[in-house]
Amino acid sequence: MRSITILVCMLAAAFSCSAQTAETPSPGSTALVEDAKDWDGRTVSFTGEAIGEAMRRGNMAWIHLNDDAYGLAQGAEAGLFGFNSGIGVWVDARLASRIALFGDYTRHGDVVEVTGIFHAACPLHGGDMDIHADSLRIMRGGYEVAWPIDRSRLIAAGVMVALTAFLFLVRAILRRRGKKDP
Amino acid sequence: MLLRPRAGDLKVIGLYTGRIILGVGLLMAVPLATALVAAEWGPAIDFVIGMCACLAFGLLAEIGCRTSREPTWTHGLVVAGFSWLAATAIGAIPHWLSGHYGSYLDAMFDLMSGYTTTGLILIQDLDHVSHALNMWRHLLTYAGGQGIIVIALTFLVGGASGAYPLYVGEGKDERLLPNVIRTARAIWLVSLVYLAVGTPILWLIAVANGQSAARGFLHALWIFMAAWSTGGFAPQSYNTYYYHSLPFELATVIIFVAGSLNFALHWAVWTGRRGEIRRNIETLSFTVTIAIAMLVTTAGLMKLGVYPDFLASLRKMFYQVASGHTTTGFATIYSRSFVRQWGPLAMLGITLAMAVGGSACSTAGGFKGIRMGLVFKGLVLGVRRALSPERAHVVVKWHHLRTRVLDESTVFSAMLVVICYVAIYALGTLVGVLCGYPLTEALFDAVSAGSNSGLSCGVTSPAMPALLKAVYLLSMWAGRLEFMSVFALGGYLISIVRGR
Repeated sequence: MRSITILVCMLAAAFSCSAQTAETPSPGSTALVEDAKDWDGRTVSFTGEAIGEAMRRGNMAWIHLNDDAYGLAQGAEAGLFGFNSGIGVWVDARLASRIALFGDYTRHGDVVEVTGIFHAACPLHGGDMDIHADSLRIMRGGYEVAWPIDRSRLIAAGVMVALTAFLFLVRAILRRRGKKDP
Repeated sequence: MLLRPRAGDLKVIGLYTGRIILGVGLLMAVPLATALVAAEWGPAIDFVIGMCACLAFGLLAEIGCRTSREPTWTHGLVVAGFSWLAATAIGAIPHWLSGHYGSYLDAMFDLMSGYTTTGLILIQDLDHVSHALNMWRHLLTYAGGQGIIVIALTFLVGGASGAYPLYVGEGKDERLLPNVIRTARAIWLVSLVYLAVGTPILWLIAVANGQSAARGFLHALWIFMAAWSTGGFAPQSYNTYYYHSLPFELATVIIFVAGSLNFALHWAVWTGRRGEIRRNIETLSFTVTIAIAMLVTTAGLMKLGVYPDFLASLRKMFYQVASGHTTTGFATIYSRSFVRQWGPLAMLGITLAMAVGGSACSTAGGFKGIRMGLVFKGLVLGVRRALSPERAHVVVKWHHLRTRVLDESTVFSAMLVVICYVAIYALGTLVGVLCGYPLTEALFDAVSAGSNSGLSCGVTSPAMPALLKAVYLLSMWAGRLEFMSVFALGGYLISIVRGR
């Protein structure tokens, strides 16, 4: 009986998720920018890596979510996939504070899903293109990015330092000789 | 008859080019220190390699090209042209080693864009870049704004007699002080004083905007460097849209407009001649051309009803036009929004603004206000002569630091440079169209590259053809040096091959 209840609950949860997905479209940032007029004023769901920081303004905050390959693919820091792309999100500061890690050089930020109204030219924010989100969900936690030291580069740096020091020495000797023999 | 340069000539060119690269190497001490403070060991190693490559090149040039000869005018022009290319090729090493570039050409593109204060970028995944690389990107645009030769003159080139040709070769011809080395130092003094004042102001705004003190300081410093130099780089891929702040936008506008003014005008105001701002041909020309660009852009935006109200429209239009006209390249809208939201008329307004550009002897690019003013006054002179009796002596005056009578040769020189700019804009547009981009978009980015502006409507990207990247790179170089050094270098190379 217990297992049936759990199964029913899981099915109900799955249905509610799929219903939400069916109701709320999830356009990418490229679609939002390219077809801003079509999406203007519509409720959208947007998923991306939180980057930079949450900039708190009173009870609200600005966050930026990148839905590019770097933001969404795990371990993507190993490759190059073109420019970053994403969008600014205006959200309740308490919701924004759920984000533990923001992406930068040493961190891959939390992957966050927000749902809210997309503005092609926001009347509240001087015409900025943004999403005013009323819900925020952490989809995947961020992580620290390890940058191991490249041994071959370290050796190359050592060789270059030695070469430069040698050239400084040669120049100093030549200058001294030049002064002696006018 | 072309005369083949002698070994002594090549030695002079090699020696001074080496000294300029040495200066670039010394500049890398700043990002290296940043990497060490931020414990970014990988970038620290990259900057050690890059710095040593520059120093080794400079030292080899000094050892191999020892000479006591002073550079002549030709040497100065050739050194200016060649050293910018060499500094780009060697200075791109840390960029390339960072792993954020698809090819060495892309790394060189960003370096040239930085030196020339253009602001177009090919860097990938900018939002995960190290502090050290961001420091280098912004420092090189700040240094490039004053001129890499100005740096060398300030610290490395001894003796003033041979320095003036180098200084002029870099596209500057104003002497703030009688001695050119003291002029170079005065340019640095002006820039450093503004840096000391502007960075704390931006920092306060950044903290009020919700940034942490540490990140706010770094962003304030970098954005100041990019604004003052009219460079347009930013530490985040969103550029200045990232800040969503009217005070931040206003502060950056004040800084980049100040940066786009002639250093001689700054000096005149500093030394008590405030009336110069009202009378100077460049400020008058700037006022007229920016008003025209704003009218055209506003008409485009109003026609399409892009923004919900007039204030939003005014805010977006003013920022983008001011950024384009001063050839800064900061943007508070997405690149593709120019095409998808703003439409062709508003894009034309921005293109016009970028084409005209800022003031001569400033950090800005484009035709320059002084040339626009001179060409306009030349037109007035022509019309007045045509309407006056044959024996009448028609005089038109113009004012830049002092009042002068306009003559044909001055108008001709100004017109010649304007034609050269139009030619590189046309070349970039043509190659863009040949590569498959629509005309309006190809024109927009080609003008942006040639005028060292940095706004893009999406053409400039890591995916664009290598040929177009190379054309834009050369356009940025030629536009920044205002052509004379480029022609001199070209002529010199021909004389090496075909001279007697």
